[in-house]
Amino acid sequence: MPAVAIEFDDIGLTFAAASRAPTVALDAVTCRFESGKVTALIGPSGCGKSTLLQIARGFLDPTQGRLRFVEGAGGNTFRPAMSTVWQAFNLFPWLTVIENVAFGLDLAGVPRAEREERARRAIAAVDLTGFEDRYPRQLSGGMRQRVGIARALVMEPEVLLLDEPFGALDAQTRLVLQEQLARLVETSGTTAILVTHSIEEAILLADTILVMTARPGRVAARIDVDLPRPRSIATTRDPGFSALFDRIYELLRDEVMRAMVVGGGDN
Amino acid sequence: MRTGEAAKEMTVKPGGAVRALLDNRRVLGWGSIVLVLLVWELVARISGVSALYLPRPSQILVTLISMFSGGGLALDLGVTLWRIFAGFAIALVAGTLLGLWIATSWRIQAVADMFIAALYPLPKVTLIPLLIIWLGTGGPFMLSISFLGAIFPIVINTVLGVSQCDPGLVLAARDLGATPQQIMRRVLLPSAIPSIFAGIRLGLGVSIILVVAAEMVVGKVGLGARLYLAGQILETEQVFAVLIVLAALGIIVTKAQDAIDASLGNWRID
Repeated sequence: MPAVAIEFDDIGLTFAAASRAPTVALDAVTCRFESGKVTALIGPSGCGKSTLLQIARGFLDPTQGRLRFVEGAGGNTFRPAMSTVWQAFNLFPWLTVIENVAFGLDLAGVPRAEREERARRAIAAVDLTGFEDRYPRQLSGGMRQRVGIARALVMEPEVLLLDEPFGALDAQTRLVLQEQLARLVETSGTTAILVTHSIEEAILLADTILVMTARPGRVAARIDVDLPRPRSIATTRDPGFSALFDRIYELLRDEVMRAMVVGGGDN
Repeated sequence: MRTGEAAKEMTVKPGGAVRALLDNRRVLGWGSIVLVLLVWELVARISGVSALYLPRPSQILVTLISMFSGGGLALDLGVTLWRIFAGFAIALVAGTLLGLWIATSWRIQAVADMFIAALYPLPKVTLIPLLIIWLGTGGPFMLSISFLGAIFPIVINTVLGVSQCDPGLVLAARDLGATPQQIMRRVLLPSAIPSIFAGIRLGLGVSIILVVAAEMVVGKVGLGARLYLAGQILETEQVFAVLIVLAALGIIVTKAQDAIDASLGNWRID
């Protein structure tokens, strides 16, 4: 599958409000999400990380700047196929696991036999074989999010958007799913954008980490993660991991303090 | 588990069987009805009150059977059911579609809000004279009255259900490539279904009331007409017989809705 890079060129988003001063959510963000790589966005609450994801997805239009999709050597291309994994899972409660996973294929008119087969493969990839006919309410949080990941990956997206995918899960479940997701993203070769609050998660999953400033959001630093793959919980004991962690923490601490003074926070 | 405990209790001490029966919802519900009928029968027999005022349940049962076997009550029941459910079915389809439309367009909502505010609190029986002027007293009139009874609760509950849909589900569907029509049909409608069924429950009740009331005013056949006629000629047993048919109809409709509600569990996430 040809992966696609996304370039943000001077992207800004200002919400006009009738009664008060307009809110600048994003201010001149210029960055690049490399094709076939995982790029993590990390920053204080309210810095516009999720907003940036919505702009990439095309659900929000920036008020300034340009969004470009670049294929291969550098030719511009159309909006690539994208799928999102959501913090709140957003599974359809009236559909079974397999119906949830096959939902997008069904919408696209993929014939029943083919979509069931693809859905079963995606379910197997997240180790949920045997749970095809369960309803979301019968699953634990971790299992629900694995359904969410399968539902996104079954669409074979060129760009995978991960919006704080493990934010609603407990620490142990997070660790297991982080390893699993790292493997899945690697094998799929898709371009991935990961929004997260967790430095550890960013380092474990990403090739590049973009640290954002408090509102208005800008990219403060771009850090490449050159730790070997596959990464796992053992990676966190690597000296390189600690060095990266400290560096990102330093950058974040100042921004989080600033965000706390300025106030706000969008979620 | 609970039945296991009850069984154990039964073997341990006498009277446990009675206790087990009293712990059963179904036994309590039906048993109390039987008990009331027995007391009624006894009181009517002992006091010697005239059957003109209070016929005995056994007399009513005999009348009921004869009305069904030779008195054409089956036809009356059939006509009334047809009037209720034909109008109700139209209201269900139209009300759900209208509700979806209102909930997804703020302009339609602005317009519809005014009409609903004006018409919903209006007792629908007050529309009977006007409808008779417009439609006469035949089939179209009965259909309209049943339709009017059901449509408001269905529309209002559909709008409520759709507007309470988790916005995250709509986003997820858009993300998976859903068109606005697909979002409406595959996300908004199913997520509104528990609420729509609450509207059906209310609406069907109003339809039953209105059709029987309209039959009492203008009907020549139907349970309401039969009831009114029996009252006019002081056939108290027949009055009670029709009331029992109406009560049975109520029980069947309510229990059927309970069963449907129970099967809707999958629509709720937690």
